[in-house]
Amino acid sequence: MRKPYVQRQRADWWLRNPAYRRYMLREATALPLLLYALLLMSGLYQFTRGEAAFLAWLALLRSPWLLALHGLALAAAQYHAVTWIALVPKILVIDSDRLRVSPATVQRVHQLGAVTCNAGLLVLALLLLRAAGGY
Amino acid sequence: MTDKVTVRVQRYRPEEDAAPWEQSFEVPYSEDLSILDALNQIKDQQDPTLSHRWSCRMAICGSCGVMVNNEPRLACKTFLRDYRDRGPVQVRALDNFPIERDLVSDISGLVEHLETVQPWLIRARESPVGEGAYLQTPEQMQRYAAFGQCINCGLCYAACPQFGRDPAFLGPGALALAQRYNLDSRDEGAAQRMQWLNADVGVWSCTFVGYCSEVCPKDVDPAAAINRGKVASDLNYAVNLFNILRGKDNA
Ligand code: SF4
Ligand code: FES
Repeated sequence: MRKPYVQRQRADWWLRNPAYRRYMLREATALPLLLYALLLMSGLYQFTRGEAAFLAWLALLRSPWLLALHGLALAAAQYHAVTWIALVPKILVIDSDRLRVSPATVQRVHQLGAVTCNAGLLVLALLLLRAAGGY
Repeated sequence: MTDKVTVRVQRYRPEEDAAPWEQSFEVPYSEDLSILDALNQIKDQQDPTLSHRWSCRMAICGSCGVMVNNEPRLACKTFLRDYRDRGPVQVRALDNFPIERDLVSDISGLVEHLETVQPWLIRARESPVGEGAYLQTPEQMQRYAAFGQCINCGLCYAACPQFGRDPAFLGPGALALAQRYNLDSRDEGAAQRMQWLNADVGVWSCTFVGYCSEVCPKDVDPAAAINRGKVASDLNYAVNLFNILRGKDNA
C-alpha cells in the first residue's frame, strides 16, 4: 500500500539554514532602498508645496533617524552590488568560437562600471550643488 | 569498549504511521564510517525494517540522498568523523519530496521534470549512422561539460525553496540539463527547449537562492545554468519583440 507523506514547506523555512538566511538578507536590502525612495518622493512632494515646506523637509533630513536610514540604505545598496557583481561572471559567459572574454574580465568590467557610475553621479551632484550656491 | 556514535534516523512506515518520527541508534564509530555505512550497519545488525536507498557507494548513482543535520547530502559521500563533537547526527529523507518510507523519497516529480526538457541531442536532420559520429572539439565540449556531470541525486531540489513551494517548478537539475544540451555544439534543439525555459515553471521561477549549487555533490552549479538560461530567455524575448515590430509576427 502506498501512502507517501507529503512534506509541506514550513513558513519559517528561511530561518532554518544559514544559506537561506544569507539569501533573505540579500533580498531584504530592498527594504531600506524602498524607504529611501519614499523619502525622496516625499521631498519632491514638499517641493511642489512651496519653499517653506521644502525647507522643513530639508531640516527633517538632519534628524538622526533619517541620517541612520541613509547610512543603512547605502550599506544595503553596496552589499547588494558587491554580491551581485560577484555572481555576474557565472551568468554572463562570453565564450563562443568568435569571441571569448575571461570571467575575471567580465567581473572587472562590471566593478569598474559600478565605480565609474557612482563616482560620476557624486561629482555631478557636487557640481550641481556648487552651481546652485549650496555651499 | 568501542567508540559509539548516536544516529537519529527518521522513520515513516506508511502502514502504521500518520507522520514521520525519529528513532535513535548507537553505531560503532570508525574514522572511515560514512552515513551510508551507518545506515547499513543499522539495517543489517539492529533493525531490518529500516528502508533507505543506495547502490554505488561512490557518489555516482545518485540514489543515497538524505538530509544530514538539515543539509542535503549523499549518504555515501558524508562521513561521521565530520560530525564528531557536534552531538547526535540526524538523518532524514530529502526535503521537498514526498516520503515513500523512512529515508526513501518519491522522486518521480524530479524524473518527470528531467524528461520535460528533452535531454537528448535534437537535430534538424539526423545524419545516417554510416556518416559517423557528430564531431566536436574538446573546447566545444568544455562549454557544457560541468552541466553534464549531474547524477540526478535530487539534492539541489531538496535545497530549493522554490521547488518546495511549487513542485511544478522544473527545478535546478532539469534546467541545468536543458543548458547542458543547449550549449552542446552538436545540438539544434535550443528553440524547442525555449518554451520550457520561458514557461512559468521555467527559469523565471528561480530567485537565485543559490543553495542548490552549494549542495551539489558534482559541482554542476545548477544556479549558474538556470541564470544563464534567463539570459537566453531574455534574448529570445528581445528577438521575438523585434520581429513583431518589424511585422514578421511568427513569434
Ligand atoms: S545538479 Fe547536482 S545536486 Fe542537482 S541532481 Fe544533479 S548532481 Fe544532484
Ligand atoms: S550510493 Fe550511489 S551516490 Fe551514494
